[in-house]
Amino acid sequence: MLARTMHDIRYDAIHDEIVIPNQFAQAILTFSGDARGEAAPTRVIQGSASQLTRPDRLDIDPVHNEIVVPNSDSVVVFAREATGNAKPLRVIRGPRTLIKGSSALAVDPVNNVIIVASQVRPPGRAQNNYTPTTNALLVFDRTADGDVAPLRVITGETTGLHIINQLQVYPPKGWVIVTQTTTDLEPEPPGIFIGVWSYKDEGDVAPRWKIAGPNSRLKKPRGVVLNPKNKELIVADMRLNSVLTYYFPAIF
Amino acid sequence: MTSSRWVRHGVRLAVFAAVLFWVLPPGDPYRLVSVDPLPPTDGTACEWSPHAGAVAYAQALKRVSNTVDPTPIRVIHDDVATFSAVAVDAVRNEIILQDENLYEIRVYDRTANTPPNVPMTEPRRIISGPKTDVEFNCGLYVDQATGEIYSVNNDTTDKTVIFGTAAKGDVAPDRALHTPHGTYGIAVDEVNKEMLFTIEHDNAVVTYPKFAKDEEPPIRLIQGDHTGLADPHGIAVDPARNLIFVANHGSTHKVAGKPQAPNWPLTRSFAVPGSGQLWPPSITVYERTAVGDARPVRTIQGPLTRLNWPAQLSYDAARDELFVANDGDSSVLVFRGSDSGNAAPVRAIKGPKTTLSNPTGVWVDVKNDEVVVSNMGNHSATVFARTATGDVAPLRTIRAAPLGKKALAIGNPGAIGYDSKRDELLVPN
Repeated sequence: MLARTMHDIRYDAIHDEIVIPNQFAQAILTFSGDARGEAAPTRVIQGSASQLTRPDRLDIDPVHNEIVVPNSDSVVVFAREATGNAKPLRVIRGPRTLIKGSSALAVDPVNNVIIVASQVRPPGRAQNNYTPTTNALLVFDRTADGDVAPLRVITGETTGLHIINQLQVYPPKGWVIVTQTTTDLEPEPPGIFIGVWSYKDEGDVAPRWKIAGPNSRLKKPRGVVLNPKNKELIVADMRLNSVLTYYFPAIF
Repeated sequence: MTSSRWVRHGVRLAVFAAVLFWVLPPGDPYRLVSVDPLPPTDGTACEWSPHAGAVAYAQALKRVSNTVDPTPIRVIHDDVATFSAVAVDAVRNEIILQDENLYEIRVYDRTANTPPNVPMTEPRRIISGPKTDVEFNCGLYVDQATGEIYSVNNDTTDKTVIFGTAAKGDVAPDRALHTPHGTYGIAVDEVNKEMLFTIEHDNAVVTYPKFAKDEEPPIRLIQGDHTGLADPHGIAVDPARNLIFVANHGSTHKVAGKPQAPNWPLTRSFAVPGSGQLWPPSITVYERTAVGDARPVRTIQGPLTRLNWPAQLSYDAARDELFVANDGDSSVLVFRGSDSGNAAPVRAIKGPKTTLSNPTGVWVDVKNDEVVVSNMGNHSATVFARTATGDVAPLRTIRAAPLGKKALAIGNPGAIGYDSKRDELLVPN
């Protein structure tokens, strides 16, 4: 039930499960943590009630037992143990949310926020289809539901945000870690970096840390995960077909 | 001092006071308590310009990233070619292999055979580098008449690039065609001079004139709810019987909307919410000139078929046999072109002697009565007799790495996870 194109994978340490989106089948697949070989998923969320449109990425909230999915112009939240044609518990959608073409998200169960990578039409501009969009991190209350405005918006030239990929959070410090590739169309695009913001940041602000440069060897980072025990930041680089691990104690 | 200079000093003092008022944190001992009135003027005031000190202070307040350029302490990377698709040029006696790991097209002597004690075989030539536009190269075709190599890029550049027989190193393709994002398989109909592609992301098949280039649009499109297309990969064409064969992994969803351009598939942006389905893998068969929401004329699907992530297809028209690189269970399956439903393959190459490992490419070489397989799992291409069946050793093997070296198989990683219980990294490809 896996596809060749999967853009997220999350491990739930509390329940020892792996959760993966299959965007082609509009499905969320949950596997046992020790799954190997041709193992069947233990649960599959899929069907008309799910409202799943393009589940390219996701995150797990093992504390509140939820799976949170960016779903094009909305965010859908399922019970962790939902299976089959399940309805979302909550849907964040509508003009006030500013969500448009959401590409990734991360949920911080400690600071009670969901951070959504999205295209937005800049506030103050006409909110119609002719208004150019820009990339943004939208910070929502974790329990947001319906057409609600984000608590904060991080966007603008200073942020350097453009084509945001996998997100992670580090709840003890409130960090949001962002991979971004600047363009999908170039094999080695300029301006790529791993950025670290606080979930409390707002507006056109630069990341607290920006990881990039020739020593890093990064070409097109699309995935990031943390290993707090070893103070490591681990990156999947699409162009290099590689996984690179950095010792980065500053953020832990 | 003229009155205008007094005014300027006064304004600067006021600005500085205002800056102090706003930037000093609450509780700071230094608070602004009063501002002296401006001295009398003659009524002429100069245009205000910010004081250089105030500007510098404001800039200092604006956050600047702490940019770091750390050296990785560990890197997981496979520095050896990993072969996705294969083609055989029976005229020039060459085996062409797509290396999806290092983004190369490698051309080997057809009869090359890497001895067990030799680490690798040198190719005759390698096409690779930024000018080639080769990246995430999956589908492959070679024109027996001209020797031209057709290479499909699945991601990023959205191009199919065509190279001549002299191409070597970092060279621009002779021509390139803009193909939809997520194009995977290619088949060329040499009778009707057409190129056919599967579009993995959009569950579609598009057909172009064989010599189409640049922004030339497709001339036909198969896409729709009744097509049975589900994450399509390999494709083959039988011009004699006017049929198209398509290998499907099984993931699918419906699309609805107005096409952006003639015969251009509706993309994932037009996905119908909640319409996704997971079907068993299949081979769907269409009329060669089918268009739109065409139903397959036959479907090979079911547990007896043993299909499991079927990838590249190769069709032997003379014997009506369809060869399938069956990635999921490391086998090569052979079906009759006329098979339908839950049909068992007529032959299957599978087992430890075969050394097959995640084969995603297959090419039947009818001239030399051989079938050549590219293995994503072990850096090799393996050559069998065309009629080989069961657990048989290959006739020859071309290796890019020492015998037994497994491929890491990290391909286009879009994310990463960390299993803290097992201290393991999870990498979807």
